[in-house]
Amino acid sequence: FSQTSCRQATLRRREFYEWLNGPGASLKQPLLDSTNYLGAYDKYGNLQAKKAEVEAEEPLPPETTSDLRPFPLNKYFRSQPVLSEELREAIYQRVKRDGATVSLASVEFGVSNERVGAVVRLKQMEKEWIAQGKTLAAPYSKAVLAMVPTTPYIDPSLPGNKGKRPINHEPINDLPVHPATRQQLFVPVAESRQFTRADAGKAFDNNLLPADDRIPHPELVQAERELASGLSFEQRRQLAENRFAAEQAKKKKEAQKKEAEEAALRTVPQRRWDYVIQNINAEAVGKSERSYKGVGWRYGFPHEDRKKGQVKIPTKVE
Amino acid sequence: MRKKPRFHSIKRIKVRADWSRWTLYNLARLKPPKSYIRTYFQQKWTAKSDTRAYHGEQIREKKWKRLFTRNLPAVVPMSHKYLAQHDGSEQAAGRGGGADSQRKTQVPMMTPYMQMTYWPVERRLDTAIFRALFASSVRQARQFCVHGLVKVNGKKMRFPGYLLNPGDMFQVVPETVMFATGAPKTRSAVARRIAEEKRAARGEAVKAKPAQPAPEVPVLDASKPDPTPARLKKHLQELMADVEGVLATDVKAKDKQKLREFRQTVRRAISLWRIASPDSVSTLDNQFTFLKSALSKFRQESDTPEEAVTLTKEETNKLKEAFEKLKEEADYNSTWNKRDASKPYLTPWRPRDYMSAFAFIPRYLEVNQNVCAAVYLRHPVARPGLAEVPSPFSYETGQLAFNWYLRRR
Repeated sequence: FSQTSCRQATLRRREFYEWLNGPGASLKQPLLDSTNYLGAYDKYGNLQAKKAEVEAEEPLPPETTSDLRPFPLNKYFRSQPVLSEELREAIYQRVKRDGATVSLASVEFGVSNERVGAVVRLKQMEKEWIAQGKTLAAPYSKAVLAMVPTTPYIDPSLPGNKGKRPINHEPINDLPVHPATRQQLFVPVAESRQFTRADAGKAFDNNLLPADDRIPHPELVQAERELASGLSFEQRRQLAENRFAAEQAKKKKEAQKKEAEEAALRTVPQRRWDYVIQNINAEAVGKSERSYKGVGWRYGFPHEDRKKGQVKIPTKVE
Repeated sequence: MRKKPRFHSIKRIKVRADWSRWTLYNLARLKPPKSYIRTYFQQKWTAKSDTRAYHGEQIREKKWKRLFTRNLPAVVPMSHKYLAQHDGSEQAAGRGGGADSQRKTQVPMMTPYMQMTYWPVERRLDTAIFRALFASSVRQARQFCVHGLVKVNGKKMRFPGYLLNPGDMFQVVPETVMFATGAPKTRSAVARRIAEEKRAARGEAVKAKPAQPAPEVPVLDASKPDPTPARLKKHLQELMADVEGVLATDVKAKDKQKLREFRQTVRRAISLWRIASPDSVSTLDNQFTFLKSALSKFRQESDTPEEAVTLTKEETNKLKEAFEKLKEEADYNSTWNKRDASKPYLTPWRPRDYMSAFAFIPRYLEVNQNVCAAVYLRHPVARPGLAEVPSPFSYETGQLAFNWYLRRR
């Protein structure tokens, strides 16, 4: 029998166009200086009751949680604020010009460590592009940053912002849930015993460090303890400086180790590629000849590259 | 052979990973599943069917099953103040469940693990490009990868299934992003005819209005006397009244009425003086300096101090800002947004229809829109009250889909 669809405008199609020209029309264009998600509208296409009372001339009230919901059914997902342009510039200047470490900038602006690093890296790329004279996608950038909620920048140099602290962009001390902690344990313990976090960690796994060491900013906990212990401001500052010096020393040691590794290589330049020669030790394969530190062909293990479920595309770049 | 089903179906509601009007309509009329009339298997099957139409629709089922993992990443936000004050033993105080207190302890929000079923799909390069708002659909993002328009950590990556590692930076060619997210050109003959008619109508409206008497440059008139203080004061007041409006107007707004009015007022204020020569008042900078110097000279030459007409320091600053705004508008319209028929997108660039309904950037990406590059910071994670995987379905649907994939078939 025929499989061609109905050639007339069906009821469903008519209803679709009715919705598109009715409640859906307000979603077509972005609202000026505001987000415009489905969650902000009711079934009939009106902005939520509170907002509807506002005149067209006045600015819209700040967005509530339901206004920031792009998917009305999923109440566990909402559109979260993005760093504004001024804030990104400020973070970049703080790290590059003032020489702050990533941890310090992270605590100051309330932005996580990885994000600070990413912002600096991306801004660097942007400045290089401007220096090379390439055109940036400015109209796209302006449009997108207007459609998305942003965290504004509190400029401390302005007179109006004398005592204000930067707006916290995101929680910076997030502890990842370790798989060893997913199991529910019932550990019998003497009633008089003081069972701490560290003991609980050991109960889960012998090598599991306590939360104080696994969070991204353990120095904040230390600083808080020093504050509670009643030391003077000068003493606390001295301790903070000692911690900073220790961190710098560790970084320097790592850099030196890396340099030593590269110095051990000998490069012989050729026409299309270079020979890079490195001294190895044949004993490094170990007693079982399977140590990962060893170099060379491993006998007795077949190639897996013709197998079906293997990943044959690159898994990492650089 | 079985007829291929429609991609954007209105009959069987399928929400797809793109920014189309059918997806928006289906999203608006999506309902939570009716669980009381169907068996567990039926519910799981429908949940799988619905969620797979959105998450990783471009991936084959067997490949997705290999990607699926039952370990869902989650995170607990810690307060450094709590960690410093307590060492954990206070939770065993009292009768083993913590010391009794008058205040009701705040129950922490639920961590929505079941909405994280499809987190490995968000790791893929094509999905990440779509989430960073560089493409209008996952399949389009996939095409960008295949056509070699995407770089990862500086190297061209032509595999849309490349799984991003935390810290990887991916970048799409900006012209392509402008094409993907911008309004389409009016290509069909009908659309072109409509655009012509609209342009003609606008042209007639402009002609119907009385022609502007003064050109951009005020003409030198030797016979005009010097302006009287009263007249000058009136003109300055008009100017300052317009300045407020100009400062409030946005350069990228469609309605630039206030900016136009301000320009006319400036022209009128300058035309009062007969020492205005065409060259000295042609550009915005020259106009501003001319006004300032003319006012100061007027102040010096006037006989009585009461008659002197000046602008206060604050007013001068505001006037300067208004001129800067005019310059910004001229810049914006000339460099970035002039009409260019050779570009693949509609110029001056404006966002696609319905883009604002889908414009959100998840927290596990850090995007720089100026260079169209983004960094994949970490894997999407569940935290109390929030699941970072953008999913349009309810919690029950997510739970059923997760339960489908738990049992290996």
